[in-house]
Amino acid sequence: MHNLESPVIELINIKKSIREEEILKGISLKVCKGEFVAIMGASGSGKSSLLYIMGLLDRPTSGEVLFKGQRTDFQKGEELSKVRNESIGFVFQFHYLLPEFTLLENVMVPMLKRGTYVDEAKEKAYDLLSRLSLKGKENRKIYQISGGEMQRVAIARALANEPELFLADEPTGNLDSKNTQMVMDIFQDINATGKTIVMVTHDIQVAKRAKRIVEMKDGQVIGY
Amino acid sequence: MRYILFIVSKLLLERKRQTIVSIAGVAIGVCALIVMSSLMFGFQKYFINQVIDLEPHISIKPKEYGDEKKIARMIDPDGLWDVMGSKPKEKDKIIGWRELINRIERRDDVMGLAPHLVVKGIIKYGIKEKPVTIIGIDPDLEPKASVIERFLEYKRLSSLKTNRDTLIIGRLVAKDLGIKDVGKKVLVMFPTGSTRILKIEDFFNSGITNIDNSRVYMNMRAVQGLMDRTDEVNEIAIKVKDVNQAERIASELQKTTEYHVESWQRAYINFLQIFKIQNTITYLIVLSILTVSAFGIFNIIMMTVLEKKRDIAILMAMGYTRKDVLSLFLTQGMIVGLCGALLGSLMGYGLQEYLSSVKLEVEGLIRTKGFMLDRSFSYYIYGFFFSMFFSFLASFYPSYRASKLDPVEIFRSA
Repeated sequence: MHNLESPVIELINIKKSIREEEILKGISLKVCKGEFVAIMGASGSGKSSLLYIMGLLDRPTSGEVLFKGQRTDFQKGEELSKVRNESIGFVFQFHYLLPEFTLLENVMVPMLKRGTYVDEAKEKAYDLLSRLSLKGKENRKIYQISGGEMQRVAIARALANEPELFLADEPTGNLDSKNTQMVMDIFQDINATGKTIVMVTHDIQVAKRAKRIVEMKDGQVIGY
Repeated sequence: MRYILFIVSKLLLERKRQTIVSIAGVAIGVCALIVMSSLMFGFQKYFINQVIDLEPHISIKPKEYGDEKKIARMIDPDGLWDVMGSKPKEKDKIIGWRELINRIERRDDVMGLAPHLVVKGIIKYGIKEKPVTIIGIDPDLEPKASVIERFLEYKRLSSLKTNRDTLIIGRLVAKDLGIKDVGKKVLVMFPTGSTRILKIEDFFNSGITNIDNSRVYMNMRAVQGLMDRTDEVNEIAIKVKDVNQAERIASELQKTTEYHVESWQRAYINFLQIFKIQNTITYLIVLSILTVSAFGIFNIIMMTVLEKKRDIAILMAMGYTRKDVLSLFLTQGMIVGLCGALLGSLMGYGLQEYLSSVKLEVEGLIRTKGFMLDRSFSYYIYGFFFSMFFSFLASFYPSYRASKLDPVEIFRSA
């Protein structure tokens, strides 16, 4: 099912404790290039915590995280930030768009951090928004668009730096069925371009759109 | 840095009201610093410059009192005694003043010297009388030790030389006696009891009230004659090249003479102490204003940090480092400080322009026809420096807090 030769991210015996409570209990998982993995589980199963570790936002209490074959546990915070900026895109249940910014500017933010010139970032942001059916709304503020549109802007922002790994934490959790379908169609399109996607969800219908489902319970993987 | 400025500009422009309020706070502080410094130092510099121009930089006088305490201590070092009073000077003169002048004149740091005979007297004009200090000067030597001529309304210093029955009186002395024009004759009474009718040749107007209100200049030879003190002087006025070195030169001279040597700083120590207190009060006020404006910046940035926790977390998820987050909020504070400094400088400049155009009769320690402003550029630099410093202080802690936020904690709590 998955390409074992080029793992984008590999977790080896990951454990994570928060306030002496072990929320991840020795998880090993390999996600290869071009995969679309859905991590499923009930609330509190540790799937979001796992996603944060995969996105190099959080460090495990023990275990190893390898990003494109490189160990990340010895890397400094700034180095991990660079990896996140250039190689990882995040989409969350809540869009977390910057309210002071227009849709276009929101998409530009990660590109500017990477060092892209404003004009180039603008052009790219226009293109991304257009691809996500937001053409003509680029200069609107966040409060002027619908929830589904907000999530599409968040996806455009996550794609801005053309990341290799695309991480989504309950991306449809706040959307109606029509918008859920639309977002999942976009994810499949992204995956079709060769991007690797890891998505956390508790919705089986959404998870079924992925190529592989990883099931979690009480901080452990219980099935692939 | 481009991306930081991009985000900061959006945050500041989208919160216009808050931004304007905090910029205004800083601007008021900077404006206050510029204008208050300019007023305070303008007045002080004017006063000091007048004193330096008019008064001897160093004066040598006979000692006022004997060394009774010193002598008593030598006789009975352990005794329970105190000197409650002492007899005033008996010999109000400088013996060998010419040699003293010749000796001091040779110093490289001295520009010129002039002898004085200073006595008390009373001027009578009609029914009006006024006690005054009569300074007997040598019109040829005096310009070497002071710029007295600058303060004369008719520039007739030389008339003291050609006609010894003349005098120059302070503008306020004339005012008190009801004299408006030169040429009037006044009766001058000397401590010896002798009197003389003298013609007023000029008015002396330094702008310093207590000088213009009490001083009269006469020919030194005439005073010596009227006081029956032929060839006696009781003050040597010294002008030095660098006024700031006067105190050092005075203490060097003191070691070589038995007479009392006093620098202008020591003679005007009371005023200089008051100026120091004034400056302290001024800076405390300015400091308070800047502190209040700094709290304004602190509040706004702290509120922004608390409100924007999720935005900070998503920025970190997008690859912004903790250093970026620190810079983001610190830059906000510094931009507010910078805009405040620029606006405050403009306001300060405008207010200085206005104050310098105001015509106002000021009569107190000094008399002027408006505010004496010191329009030094350094106050703008101080204003800029202080506003940036306070803005940095005010924004550092909230920025630091923001940079220490844990994005995962924030996402979890959402």
